[in-house]
Amino acid sequence: MQEIDFLYIFQGIATMVASDPLIVFARIVLILLGIAFVYLGAKGTLEPLIMIPMGVGMSSVNAAVLYLSKTTMGTIFLDPMASEPSQLMDVLQINFLQPIYTFTFSNGLIACLVFMGIGVITDIGYMLISPFRSMFIALCAELGTLLTFPIAVAMGLTYKEAASIAMVGGADGPMVLYTSLILAKDIFVPITIVAYLYLSLTYAGYPYLIRLMIPKHLRGIKMDSKQIPSFTTAEKMTFAVITCTLLCLLLPVAAPLFMSFFLGIIIRESDVKPFVEFISGPVLYGSTFFLGLLLGVLCEAATILNPKVILLLFLGITALLISGIGGIIGGYIVYWASGRNYNPVIGIAGVSCIPTTAKVAQKEARDANKFAMILPWAMGANICGVITSAIIAAVYVTLLR
Amino acid sequence: MEYFLGSVKIMLIVYGLSAFIAMLVAGIIKLIFAGIRRQRVSAAAKVDAAVNPSSMPANSEPGKAA
Repeated sequence: MQEIDFLYIFQGIATMVASDPLIVFARIVLILLGIAFVYLGAKGTLEPLIMIPMGVGMSSVNAAVLYLSKTTMGTIFLDPMASEPSQLMDVLQINFLQPIYTFTFSNGLIACLVFMGIGVITDIGYMLISPFRSMFIALCAELGTLLTFPIAVAMGLTYKEAASIAMVGGADGPMVLYTSLILAKDIFVPITIVAYLYLSLTYAGYPYLIRLMIPKHLRGIKMDSKQIPSFTTAEKMTFAVITCTLLCLLLPVAAPLFMSFFLGIIIRESDVKPFVEFISGPVLYGSTFFLGLLLGVLCEAATILNPKVILLLFLGITALLISGIGGIIGGYIVYWASGRNYNPVIGIAGVSCIPTTAKVAQKEARDANKFAMILPWAMGANICGVITSAIIAAVYVTLLR
Repeated sequence: MEYFLGSVKIMLIVYGLSAFIAMLVAGIIKLIFAGIRRQRVSAAAKVDAAVNPSSMPANSEPGKAA
Protein backbone atom coordinates (compact mmCIF):
# COMPACT_ATOMS: atom_id res chain seq x y z
CA MET A 1 0.00 0.00 0.00
CA GLN A 2 1.24 3.46 -0.95
CA GLU A 3 2.26 5.66 1.98
CA ILE A 4 -0.02 8.67 2.52
CA ASP A 5 1.63 12.04 3.13
CA PHE A 6 -0.86 13.80 5.41
CA LEU A 7 0.93 17.12 4.99
CA TYR A 8 0.13 16.89 1.27
CA ILE A 9 -3.56 16.57 2.11
CA PHE A 10 -3.58 19.52 4.55
CA GLN A 11 -1.67 21.89 2.30
CA GLY A 12 -2.45 25.04 4.32
CA ILE A 13 -0.32 23.55 7.09
CA ALA A 14 2.22 21.99 4.70
CA THR A 15 2.95 25.37 3.12
CA MET A 16 3.44 26.87 6.57
CA VAL A 17 5.94 24.17 7.46
CA ALA A 18 7.81 24.72 4.20
CA SER A 19 7.79 28.56 4.26
CA ASP A 20 10.25 31.09 5.55
CA PRO A 21 9.61 31.71 9.32
CA LEU A 22 8.88 35.39 8.66
CA ILE A 23 6.16 34.48 6.16
CA VAL A 24 4.71 31.93 8.61
CA PHE A 25 4.64 34.57 11.36
CA ALA A 26 3.01 37.12 9.02
CA ARG A 27 0.38 34.57 7.92
CA ILE A 28 -0.55 33.76 11.51
CA VAL A 29 -0.70 37.47 12.46
CA LEU A 30 -2.89 38.25 9.42
CA ILE A 31 -5.25 35.36 10.18
CA LEU A 32 -5.66 36.66 13.75
CA LEU A 33 -6.00 40.25 12.51
CA GLY A 34 -8.72 39.16 10.07
CA ILE A 35 -10.64 37.48 12.89
CA ALA A 36 -10.18 40.65 15.01
CA PHE A 37 -11.56 42.80 12.15
CA VAL A 38 -14.66 40.60 11.94
CA TYR A 39 -15.16 40.84 15.71
CA LEU A 40 -14.59 44.63 15.88
CA GLY A 41 -16.75 45.18 12.80
CA ALA A 42 -19.63 43.13 14.22
CA LYS A 43 -19.23 45.00 17.53
CA GLY A 44 -19.40 48.37 15.72
CA THR A 45 -15.93 49.58 16.77
CA LEU A 46 -14.79 49.46 13.12
CA GLU A 47 -16.94 50.09 10.03
CA PRO A 48 -18.79 46.74 9.62
CA LEU A 49 -19.67 47.18 5.93
CA ILE A 50 -15.99 47.04 4.99
CA MET A 51 -14.36 45.29 7.92
CA ILE A 52 -16.48 42.12 8.09
CA PRO A 53 -15.89 41.00 4.46
CA MET A 54 -12.31 42.27 4.66
CA GLY A 55 -11.59 40.30 7.84
CA VAL A 56 -13.06 37.09 6.44
CA GLY A 57 -11.07 37.55 3.21
CA MET A 58 -7.85 38.28 5.10
CA SER A 59 -8.03 35.27 7.42
CA SER A 60 -9.15 32.90 4.65
CA VAL A 61 -6.52 33.87 2.09
CA ASN A 62 -3.67 33.53 4.58
CA ALA A 63 -4.91 30.14 5.73
CA ALA A 64 -5.59 28.80 2.24
CA VAL A 65 -2.09 28.78 0.75
CA LEU A 66 -1.45 25.64 -1.31
CA TYR A 67 1.00 24.16 -3.79
CA LEU A 68 0.07 25.41 -7.26
CA SER A 69 2.88 23.25 -8.68
CA LYS A 70 5.66 21.22 -7.08
CA THR A 71 7.67 24.34 -6.30
CA THR A 72 5.28 27.29 -6.28
CA MET A 73 2.87 28.25 -3.54
CA GLY A 74 -0.17 30.45 -3.89
CA THR A 75 -3.94 30.62 -3.52
CA ILE A 76 -6.90 30.08 -5.80
CA PHE A 77 -8.53 33.36 -4.76
CA LEU A 78 -6.91 35.79 -7.19
CA ASP A 79 -3.59 36.81 -8.71
CA PRO A 80 -3.23 40.62 -8.72
CA MET A 81 -0.02 40.48 -10.76
CA ALA A 82 -1.41 38.52 -13.74
CA SER A 83 -1.17 40.81 -16.76
CA GLU A 84 -0.14 38.76 -19.82
CA PRO A 85 -3.28 37.91 -21.85
CA SER A 86 -2.69 34.14 -21.87
CA GLN A 87 -1.79 34.09 -18.16
CA LEU A 88 -4.83 36.25 -17.41
CA MET A 89 -7.11 33.88 -19.35
CA ASP A 90 -5.77 30.98 -17.27
CA VAL A 91 -6.25 32.65 -13.90
CA LEU A 92 -9.70 33.96 -14.89
CA GLN A 93 -10.78 30.34 -15.22
CA ILE A 94 -9.12 29.15 -12.02
CA ASN A 95 -9.20 31.89 -9.37
CA PHE A 96 -12.75 32.43 -8.21
CA LEU A 97 -12.46 36.16 -7.40
CA GLN A 98 -10.28 36.96 -10.42
CA PRO A 99 -13.16 38.08 -12.71
CA ILE A 100 -14.38 40.58 -10.10
CA TYR A 101 -10.84 41.83 -9.47
CA THR A 102 -9.89 42.15 -13.14
CA PHE A 103 -13.13 43.65 -14.44
CA THR A 104 -14.16 45.89 -11.54
CA PHE A 105 -11.27 46.50 -9.16
CA SER A 106 -8.07 46.94 -11.14
CA ASN A 107 -9.69 49.38 -13.57
CA GLY A 108 -11.26 51.53 -10.84
CA LEU A 109 -14.87 50.62 -11.74
CA ILE A 110 -15.69 49.57 -8.18
CA ALA A 111 -14.51 52.98 -6.86
CA CYS A 112 -16.77 54.69 -9.41
CA LEU A 113 -19.75 52.51 -8.42
CA VAL A 114 -19.25 53.37 -4.75
CA PHE A 115 -19.02 57.03 -5.74
CA MET A 116 -22.25 56.75 -7.75
CA GLY A 117 -23.94 55.27 -4.69
CA ILE A 118 -22.62 58.13 -2.54
CA GLY A 119 -24.08 60.56 -5.10
CA VAL A 120 -27.51 58.95 -4.85
CA ILE A 121 -27.60 59.23 -1.05
CA THR A 122 -26.27 62.83 -1.06
CA ASP A 123 -28.62 65.81 -0.94
CA ILE A 124 -26.67 68.43 -2.89
CA GLY A 125 -29.01 71.10 -1.45
CA TYR A 126 -26.87 71.25 1.70
CA MET A 127 -23.90 72.35 -0.35
CA LEU A 128 -25.87 75.14 -1.95
CA ILE A 129 -26.62 76.86 1.41
CA SER A 130 -23.30 78.73 1.54
CA PRO A 131 -21.03 77.38 -1.19
CA PHE A 132 -18.02 79.68 -0.66
CA ARG A 133 -17.83 79.03 3.09
CA SER A 134 -18.29 75.27 2.63
CA MET A 135 -15.70 75.14 -0.14
CA PHE A 136 -13.24 77.20 1.94
CA ILE A 137 -13.62 74.80 4.88
CA ALA A 138 -13.19 71.81 2.57
CA LEU A 139 -9.98 73.31 1.18
CA CYS A 140 -8.64 73.83 4.72
CA ALA A 141 -9.53 70.21 5.52
CA GLU A 142 -7.30 69.08 2.63
CA LEU A 143 -4.25 70.30 4.54
CA GLY A 144 -3.24 66.71 5.30
CA THR A 145 -3.55 65.70 1.65
CA LEU A 146 -1.10 68.44 0.74
CA LEU A 147 1.41 68.51 3.63
CA THR A 148 1.76 64.72 3.73
CA PHE A 149 3.04 64.78 0.15
CA PRO A 150 6.40 66.51 0.90
CA ILE A 151 6.63 64.67 4.25
CA ALA A 152 6.34 61.33 2.42
CA VAL A 153 8.92 62.41 -0.15
CA ALA A 154 11.28 63.43 2.67
CA MET A 155 10.84 59.93 4.11
CA GLY A 156 11.95 58.28 0.90
CA LEU A 157 8.82 57.66 -1.18
CA THR A 158 8.63 58.60 -4.85
CA TYR A 159 6.31 61.42 -5.96
CA LYS A 160 3.70 58.92 -7.19
CA GLU A 161 3.75 56.88 -3.99
CA ALA A 162 3.74 60.04 -1.87
CA ALA A 163 0.70 61.45 -3.69
CA SER A 164 -1.15 58.15 -3.29
CA ILE A 165 -0.63 57.92 0.48
CA ALA A 166 -1.26 61.68 0.88
CA MET A 167 -4.76 61.13 -0.53
CA VAL A 168 -5.63 59.35 2.75
CA GLY A 169 -5.89 62.90 4.14
CA GLY A 170 -8.95 63.37 1.96
CA ALA A 171 -10.55 60.54 3.98
CA ASP A 172 -12.30 59.21 0.91
CA GLY A 173 -11.74 55.48 0.34
CA PRO A 174 -12.72 55.24 -3.35
CA MET A 175 -10.52 58.26 -4.09
CA VAL A 176 -7.46 56.68 -2.44
CA LEU A 177 -8.11 53.46 -4.36
CA TYR A 178 -8.50 55.33 -7.66
CA THR A 179 -5.34 57.44 -7.17
CA SER A 180 -3.12 54.61 -5.97
CA LEU A 181 -4.28 52.28 -8.78
CA ILE A 182 -3.14 54.87 -11.32
CA LEU A 183 -0.04 56.23 -9.60
CA ALA A 184 1.40 53.44 -7.42
CA LYS A 185 0.11 50.09 -8.60
CA ASP A 186 2.89 48.19 -6.76
CA ILE A 187 1.77 49.41 -3.33
CA PHE A 188 -1.90 50.15 -3.93
CA VAL A 189 -2.94 47.22 -1.74
CA PRO A 190 -1.22 48.39 1.48
CA ILE A 191 -2.17 52.03 0.78
CA THR A 192 -5.86 51.17 0.34
CA ILE A 193 -5.88 48.91 3.39
CA VAL A 194 -4.25 51.64 5.50
CA ALA A 195 -6.83 54.12 4.16
CA TYR A 196 -9.87 51.98 4.97
CA LEU A 197 -8.47 50.98 8.34
CA TYR A 198 -8.00 54.59 9.39
CA LEU A 199 -11.26 55.80 7.82
CA SER A 200 -13.16 53.37 9.96
CA LEU A 201 -11.42 54.88 12.98
CA THR A 202 -12.30 58.54 12.25
CA TYR A 203 -15.64 58.11 13.99
CA ALA A 204 -13.76 57.20 17.17
CA GLY A 205 -10.78 59.56 16.85
CA TYR A 206 -12.09 62.91 15.58
CA PRO A 207 -14.36 63.66 18.59
CA TYR A 208 -11.24 63.85 20.79
CA LEU A 209 -9.59 66.24 18.33
CA ILE A 210 -12.71 68.46 18.36
CA ARG A 211 -12.83 68.53 22.17
CA LEU A 212 -9.11 69.27 22.30
CA MET A 213 -9.24 72.20 19.88
CA ILE A 214 -12.68 73.77 20.48
CA PRO A 215 -13.94 74.87 23.92
CA LYS A 216 -17.43 73.75 24.94
CA HIS A 217 -19.09 77.18 24.63
CA LEU A 218 -17.99 77.40 20.98
CA ARG A 219 -19.02 73.81 20.23
CA GLY A 220 -22.54 74.67 21.32
CA ILE A 221 -23.05 77.70 19.05
CA LYS A 222 -26.48 77.50 17.40
CA MET A 223 -26.74 78.12 13.67
CA ASP A 224 -29.55 80.28 12.32
CA SER A 225 -31.86 77.87 10.50
CA LYS A 226 -33.56 80.82 8.75
CA GLN A 227 -30.39 81.04 6.63
CA ILE A 228 -31.35 77.78 4.89
CA PRO A 229 -32.98 78.54 1.56
CA SER A 230 -35.01 75.92 -0.26
CA PHE A 231 -33.88 74.67 -3.63
CA THR A 232 -35.95 73.16 -6.38
CA THR A 233 -35.06 69.93 -8.14
CA ALA A 234 -34.41 71.91 -11.33
CA GLU A 235 -31.89 74.13 -9.52
CA LYS A 236 -30.03 71.18 -8.06
CA MET A 237 -29.94 69.36 -11.40
CA THR A 238 -28.76 72.49 -13.24
CA PHE A 239 -25.90 72.81 -10.78
CA ALA A 240 -25.00 69.11 -11.02
CA VAL A 241 -24.99 69.02 -14.83
CA ILE A 242 -22.96 72.22 -15.24
CA THR A 243 -20.42 71.35 -12.52
CA CYS A 244 -19.98 67.79 -13.81
CA THR A 245 -19.37 69.01 -17.35
CA LEU A 246 -16.96 71.71 -16.20
CA LEU A 247 -14.93 69.37 -13.97
CA CYS A 248 -14.74 66.73 -16.73
CA LEU A 249 -13.58 69.43 -19.14
CA LEU A 250 -10.89 70.69 -16.75
CA LEU A 251 -9.68 67.32 -15.40
CA PRO A 252 -10.51 64.48 -17.83
CA VAL A 253 -8.31 62.02 -15.92
CA ALA A 254 -10.84 61.98 -13.06
CA ALA A 255 -13.88 62.23 -15.33
CA PRO A 256 -15.10 58.70 -14.40
CA LEU A 257 -15.23 59.74 -10.72
CA PHE A 258 -16.88 63.11 -11.41
CA MET A 259 -19.40 61.56 -13.77
CA SER A 260 -20.28 58.77 -11.33
CA PHE A 261 -20.81 61.15 -8.41
CA PHE A 262 -22.89 63.70 -10.30
CA LEU A 263 -24.85 60.99 -12.14
CA GLY A 264 -25.83 59.67 -8.71
CA ILE A 265 -26.96 63.16 -7.68
CA ILE A 266 -28.93 63.68 -10.90
CA ILE A 267 -30.64 60.30 -10.56
CA ARG A 268 -31.62 61.17 -6.99
CA GLU A 269 -33.02 64.54 -8.02
CA SER A 270 -34.81 63.18 -11.09
CA ASP A 271 -36.54 60.78 -8.67
CA VAL A 272 -36.55 57.79 -11.03
CA LYS A 273 -37.40 55.43 -8.20
CA PRO A 274 -36.21 52.12 -9.77
CA PHE A 275 -32.77 53.68 -10.48
CA VAL A 276 -32.56 55.31 -7.05
CA GLU A 277 -33.38 52.01 -5.33
CA PHE A 278 -31.01 50.05 -7.57
CA ILE A 279 -28.01 52.37 -7.12
CA SER A 280 -28.51 53.15 -3.43
CA GLY A 281 -29.10 49.46 -2.66
CA PRO A 282 -27.56 46.68 -4.75
CA VAL A 283 -24.93 48.82 -6.50
CA LEU A 284 -23.68 50.69 -3.42
CA TYR A 285 -23.81 47.79 -0.98
CA GLY A 286 -22.70 45.21 -3.56
CA SER A 287 -19.66 47.35 -4.46
CA THR A 288 -18.82 48.02 -0.82
CA PHE A 289 -19.07 44.31 -0.02
CA PHE A 290 -16.79 43.23 -2.87
CA LEU A 291 -14.42 46.11 -2.17
CA GLY A 292 -14.00 44.89 1.41
CA LEU A 293 -13.70 41.26 0.37
CA LEU A 294 -11.12 41.96 -2.34
CA LEU A 295 -9.07 44.17 -0.01
CA GLY A 296 -9.02 41.34 2.52
CA VAL A 297 -8.05 38.75 -0.09
CA LEU A 298 -5.27 41.03 -1.32
CA CYS A 299 -3.77 41.07 2.21
CA GLU A 300 -1.48 38.12 1.61
CA ALA A 301 1.57 37.85 3.86
CA ALA A 302 3.99 38.47 1.00
CA THR A 303 2.21 41.73 0.08
CA ILE A 304 1.99 43.02 3.63
CA LEU A 305 5.64 42.25 4.37
CA ASN A 306 6.56 45.17 2.12
CA PRO A 307 8.96 47.32 4.23
CA LYS A 308 7.02 50.42 3.18
CA VAL A 309 3.93 49.34 5.14
CA ILE A 310 5.16 50.78 8.49
CA LEU A 311 5.90 54.05 6.72
CA LEU A 312 2.46 54.04 5.09
CA LEU A 313 0.82 53.43 8.47
CA PHE A 314 2.60 56.48 9.91
CA LEU A 315 1.90 58.70 6.89
CA GLY A 316 -1.78 57.68 6.74
CA ILE A 317 -2.49 58.69 10.33
CA THR A 318 -0.42 61.89 9.86
CA ALA A 319 -2.50 62.83 6.80
CA LEU A 320 -5.81 62.29 8.60
CA LEU A 321 -4.66 64.15 11.71
CA ILE A 322 -3.41 67.19 9.75
CA SER A 323 -6.62 67.25 7.69
CA GLY A 324 -8.74 67.21 10.85
CA ILE A 325 -6.68 70.06 12.35
CA GLY A 326 -6.88 71.98 9.04
CA GLY A 327 -10.67 71.57 8.94
CA ILE A 328 -11.08 72.89 12.48
CA ILE A 329 -8.76 75.84 11.70
CA GLY A 330 -11.00 76.52 8.66
CA GLY A 331 -14.03 76.40 10.95
CA TYR A 332 -12.38 78.97 13.27
CA ILE A 333 -11.53 81.28 10.34
CA VAL A 334 -15.16 81.25 9.17
CA TYR A 335 -16.29 81.74 12.79
CA TRP A 336 -14.23 84.93 13.10
CA ALA A 337 -14.99 86.14 9.57
CA SER A 338 -18.74 85.75 10.10
CA GLY A 339 -18.85 87.82 13.28
CA ARG A 340 -18.72 84.80 15.62
CA ASN A 341 -22.01 83.41 14.32
CA TYR A 342 -20.62 80.18 12.95
CA ASN A 343 -20.02 76.93 14.83
CA PRO A 344 -16.32 76.02 14.28
CA VAL A 345 -17.11 72.32 14.79
CA ILE A 346 -18.47 72.35 11.21
CA GLY A 347 -14.81 72.55 10.14
CA ILE A 348 -14.22 68.86 10.88
CA ALA A 349 -16.94 67.99 8.35
CA GLY A 350 -14.72 69.41 5.61
CA VAL A 351 -12.85 66.10 5.86
CA SER A 352 -14.79 64.26 3.22
CA CYS A 353 -15.57 60.97 4.95
CA ILE A 354 -19.23 61.36 4.01
CA PRO A 355 -21.42 61.36 6.09
CA THR A 356 -19.33 60.21 9.07
CA THR A 357 -17.56 63.51 9.81
CA ALA A 358 -20.81 65.49 9.46
CA LYS A 359 -22.45 63.15 11.96
CA VAL A 360 -19.46 63.50 14.30
CA ALA A 361 -19.74 67.31 14.09
CA GLN A 362 -23.49 67.23 14.84
CA LYS A 363 -23.00 64.85 17.75
CA GLU A 364 -20.28 67.00 19.32
CA ALA A 365 -22.35 70.18 18.91
CA ARG A 366 -25.41 68.52 20.44
CA ASP A 367 -23.36 67.17 23.36
CA ALA A 368 -22.30 70.74 24.12
CA ASN A 369 -25.75 72.29 23.56
CA LYS A 370 -28.79 70.09 23.04
CA PHE A 371 -30.43 72.80 20.86
CA ALA A 372 -27.46 73.13 18.47
CA MET A 373 -28.41 71.93 14.99
CA ILE A 374 -25.48 72.16 12.58
CA LEU A 375 -26.04 69.09 10.38
CA PRO A 376 -27.15 70.96 7.20
CA TRP A 377 -24.00 73.13 7.23
CA ALA A 378 -21.82 70.17 8.17
CA MET A 379 -23.26 68.15 5.26
CA GLY A 380 -22.55 71.12 2.96
CA ALA A 381 -18.89 71.16 4.01
CA ASN A 382 -18.83 67.35 3.72
CA ILE A 383 -20.08 67.35 0.11
CA CYS A 384 -17.62 70.14 -0.76
CA GLY A 385 -14.94 67.91 0.81
CA VAL A 386 -15.83 65.10 -1.60
CA ILE A 387 -15.57 67.50 -4.54
CA THR A 388 -12.25 69.04 -3.39
CA SER A 389 -10.79 65.56 -2.77
CA ALA A 390 -11.74 64.53 -6.30
CA ILE A 391 -10.21 67.74 -7.68
CA ILE A 392 -6.95 67.25 -5.74
CA ALA A 393 -6.77 63.57 -6.81
CA ALA A 394 -7.29 64.65 -10.41
CA VAL A 395 -4.60 67.33 -10.22
CA TYR A 396 -2.10 64.90 -8.62
CA VAL A 397 -2.84 62.23 -11.23
CA THR A 398 -2.65 64.71 -14.11
CA LEU A 399 0.67 66.15 -12.92
CA LEU A 400 2.39 62.92 -11.89
CA ARG A 401 1.03 60.17 -14.16
CA MET B 1 17.25 68.06 -1.37
CA GLU B 2 16.26 69.06 -4.89
CA TYR B 3 13.79 66.19 -5.00
CA PHE B 4 12.20 67.37 -1.75
CA LEU B 5 12.03 71.00 -2.91
CA GLY B 6 10.36 69.71 -6.07
CA SER B 7 7.69 68.06 -3.94
CA VAL B 8 7.04 71.34 -2.08
CA LYS B 9 6.67 73.07 -5.46
CA ILE B 10 4.24 70.38 -6.65
CA MET B 11 2.27 70.71 -3.39
CA LEU B 12 1.88 74.46 -3.89
CA ILE B 13 0.82 74.00 -7.53
CA VAL B 14 -1.70 71.31 -6.58
CA TYR B 15 -3.18 73.47 -3.81
CA GLY B 16 -3.31 76.58 -5.99
CA LEU B 17 -5.01 74.78 -8.89
CA SER B 18 -7.40 72.91 -6.61
CA ALA B 19 -8.38 76.06 -4.72
CA PHE B 20 -9.00 77.87 -8.01
CA ILE B 21 -11.20 75.07 -9.40
CA ALA B 22 -13.08 74.63 -6.09
CA MET B 23 -13.85 78.35 -5.89
CA LEU B 24 -14.87 78.28 -9.56
CA VAL B 25 -17.44 75.59 -8.65
CA ALA B 26 -18.69 77.74 -5.75
CA GLY B 27 -18.87 80.73 -8.11
CA ILE B 28 -20.93 78.69 -10.59
CA ILE B 29 -23.41 77.85 -7.83
CA LYS B 30 -23.76 81.54 -6.96
CA LEU B 31 -24.15 82.50 -10.64
CA ILE B 32 -26.76 79.83 -11.33
CA PHE B 33 -28.82 80.88 -8.33
CA ALA B 34 -28.43 84.58 -9.04
CA GLY B 35 -29.74 83.90 -12.58
CA ILE B 36 -32.61 81.71 -11.37
CA ARG B 37 -33.67 84.19 -8.66
CA ARG B 38 -33.58 87.07 -11.16
CA GLN B 39 -35.71 85.07 -13.55
CA ARG B 40 -38.16 84.29 -10.72
CA VAL B 41 -38.40 87.96 -9.68
CA SER B 42 -39.06 89.11 -13.23
CA ALA B 43 -41.61 86.32 -13.77
CA ALA B 44 -43.36 87.27 -10.52
CA ALA B 45 -43.37 90.94 -11.57
CA LYS B 46 -44.95 89.99 -14.91
CA VAL B 47 -47.66 87.94 -13.19
CA ASP B 48 -48.25 90.77 -10.73
CA ALA B 49 -48.52 93.28 -13.56
CA ALA B 50 -50.97 91.06 -15.45
CA VAL B 51 -53.18 90.65 -12.37
CA ASN B 52 -53.00 94.27 -11.22
CA PRO B 53 -52.15 96.68 -14.11
CA SER B 54 -52.31 99.76 -11.84
CA SER B 55 -49.29 98.51 -9.93
CA MET B 56 -47.08 98.92 -13.02
CA PRO B 57 -44.76 101.93 -13.07
CA ALA B 58 -46.07 104.84 -15.14
CA ASN B 59 -43.32 104.75 -17.75
CA SER B 60 -43.89 101.07 -18.43
CA GLU B 61 -47.34 101.66 -19.92
CA PRO B 62 -47.34 100.90 -23.65
CA GLY B 63 -48.32 104.46 -24.67
CA LYS B 64 -45.58 106.09 -22.59
CA ALA B 65 -42.79 103.63 -23.15
CA ALA B 66 -41.04 105.67 -25.79
